[in-house]
Amino acid sequence: MLSCKGLVALSSDLLDGELTWKQRIAVRTHLAMCVHCRRFIRQLRVSQHVIRHLPDEQAPELEALLKAMQAQQQQGSDADSGDSAK
Amino acid sequence: MADEQDLIQRLLKGDQAAYRALVQQYQGAMRAVAIAIVGSASADEVVQDSWLAVVRNLPGFAGRSSLKTWLLTITANTAKSRLRKQRREVSLEDVTGPHGSIDDARFADDGHWGRAPTLWHTDSPEALLSEQALRDCLEHTLATLSEVQRSVLLLRERQALELPDICNLLDISHSNVRVLLHRARLSVFATLEHFEETGEC
Repeated sequence: MLSCKGLVALSSDLLDGELTWKQRIAVRTHLAMCVHCRRFIRQLRVSQHVIRHLPDEQAPELEALLKAMQAQQQQGSDADSGDSAK
Repeated sequence: MADEQDLIQRLLKGDQAAYRALVQQYQGAMRAVAIAIVGSASADEVVQDSWLAVVRNLPGFAGRSSLKTWLLTITANTAKSRLRKQRREVSLEDVTGPHGSIDDARFADDGHWGRAPTLWHTDSPEALLSEQALRDCLEHTLATLSEVQRSVLLLRERQALELPDICNLLDISHSNVRVLLHRARLSVFATLEHFEETGEC
């Protein structure tokens, strides 16, 4: 029988669909009987979504980066037109 | 995919708004990849070099992979070539966040919960994140994880990368990625639980 501790150890694999079929049956059976573990898994999924929704830190030097990229592209297209002129 | 083709056409024409949108969308994922490989100190430089490589190589992008996979592969290659000689060992050392984890202490000897998970006041991520104090607290927890652990978590949860893609990008075995991800998730869970119980970080 899978214990609560064992279920927690498998919880990430459950979220990622990485369980073997034997583990999957053991997890399902345990969850059907255990209210604490059902809550744990539900809230583990919530915390997964929380990380997904956490605002991304933006690069502070965005403008400088975009300028450098523009310069790089300019250089590339100059080289192209140079080639085609040959 | 049609949107992606459209975006690529605009990028090739040098559309600056398209570049801005591209950088804003993928900068976070590229940073996570760079940090996992070279560490925080050199990550920004690697990301910048990667963007320049993206601009140089875009005309040759054949669309065999998704744009995102292509961008992250360029980032991983840029990062790896930077450290070619000084290969960092991926630390599997158990770094837990400031609020601990769901570890042995939570269970009785028979494996049942000793202290069961408490019920949170809401299951809505938006409602939870509406509190600035919690957002700060989560940032703090993420900052205390190891660089690789944090990157794996962000690539999986925020960027929705599949585990094999994370393994390939970061050169980490499948089982190690699973361990890193599991520990990171439990640390985040512990922070949310702590905040729900105490109202503070």
